[in-house]
Amino acid sequence: MPSPPIAARDERQRRFEEVYLAHRSSILGYVLRRTDNPDDAADVIAETFLTAWRRLEDVPCDAGARLWLYGVARRVLANHHRGVRRRSALTERLRADLATGYRPPEFDSGQAQIAEAFLRLPPAERELLTLSAWEGLDYGQIAVVLGCSRNAVRLRLFRARKRFAGELASCQTRSAHPGVHVTNGGLA
Amino acid sequence: MSQISRICPVTDAEAERIVRPATFADLGGRITASPAATADGTPGRPYPAAGSRARRRWLIGAPLAAGLAVVVLLVTWLASPAQRVGPVRVGPQVAQALSFTTSGRYITVIVRNPLADPTRYRAEFAAHHLDITLTLVPASPSLVGTLVYSGQSAGADITPITAQGRCYTGGGGSACPVGVRIPAGFRGQAQLAFGRAARPGERYETTAPATAPGEVMHGMRFQGDTVSQVLAMLRERDVTVPVFNYARQGYARNLSHVPGSWYVYDAAPWASQQVMLFVGPTKTPPAAKSPQPGTPVPSPTS
Repeated sequence: MPSPPIAARDERQRRFEEVYLAHRSSILGYVLRRTDNPDDAADVIAETFLTAWRRLEDVPCDAGARLWLYGVARRVLANHHRGVRRRSALTERLRADLATGYRPPEFDSGQAQIAEAFLRLPPAERELLTLSAWEGLDYGQIAVVLGCSRNAVRLRLFRARKRFAGELASCQTRSAHPGVHVTNGGLA
Repeated sequence: MSQISRICPVTDAEAERIVRPATFADLGGRITASPAATADGTPGRPYPAAGSRARRRWLIGAPLAAGLAVVVLLVTWLASPAQRVGPVRVGPQVAQALSFTTSGRYITVIVRNPLADPTRYRAEFAAHHLDITLTLVPASPSLVGTLVYSGQSAGADITPITAQGRCYTGGGGSACPVGVRIPAGFRGQAQLAFGRAARPGERYETTAPATAPGEVMHGMRFQGDTVSQVLAMLRERDVTVPVFNYARQGYARNLSHVPGSWYVYDAAPWASQQVMLFVGPTKTPPAAKSPQPGTPVPSPTS
């Protein structure tokens, strides 16, 4: 017969497993779209869910859990981009799967042009645009991930789209660069 | 489709197909085996905000800091799970949980009682002016005595002691973390978890690959074999299978019985002489389905 502490731990574990099963592919996708390094991706995914495990009481019960996890993954990824690297003993197998199974796509010239314009934008604007286009989030959902108001998201996204359109037009007037290889490691 | 969508490197569904269900299960199991709360029962500290100097470091294969370390923590206990310490049997309320031995510039901390209440470890570290939370979790055989989790507060620089070939952790190879070095004058907080031997029937909280050296399926090739074939091979090793993990549409469930004609995709240590098998009715695991990124919101500029 399990003792009360074990029962409490089992309940906690059950709740974590629900969150993990429901959202692991979303977080894996979010991270892989923003880094092409399998080691970094594995560590960010593990740290994101480890944070969820340690702060399970803060994880929203409904679909908000996905947005909460995006917010955590975003901060962990930002730390990685600043050079704060961790190598997790938790992620050996995930790292191996990603290293053997994931190849970032090579872009055709049209996509390379879009990527070039996109990379000219400040990181904050890239994040807004990708949360909308890649994760399919609306203004309110992006506001939750970024921790700002819906109205601020609407205005900033408007400006970002305008700036992106300008950069793209500027790229398109220059000659195309066939064979340019841009991977998602340089995006977002 | 917006222009930005055209350069989306990978969808959620494509990403999910890259990772084997057993790998997801392994990571989930390792996460839930790590300490979830502080020793006094309060939830863990909030995640540090971007830019904060607070950080958590997980350890494996990191370079050792030279010259600074004075405390070495090794889980090299003499006690078996039955609490036998040396020739004398002692109860957990009597035995000292940790021993501290000073030798030159190092203090070696040895775990005398791997089944002690974590609050006792904490108290004994505190008596040596160290704010360290140590837990020992039931581990599959090759991870007994190895470091399975390490977290630390801002400014701390605890580094691992690795022993080549002591354990095998999958993609990381054989650089096995077996202890930690704690810098001189350590005034931060640290949370450490080591693997301990499981009690009979106790479920492992941290596991190496089932086929790693020291594990019950070491040397076995079984992927793509039927459940019946694998169960027969396991019987020869006195290994039983209390749980079959069957993932359908991305959601895994644990079953106690499955048809013998099903196929085995992977395995994970479960408890002493027990493994969990990852199975399904098709010879290769079906690609898991997951939500696609949603429809982009209308763009004012498009």
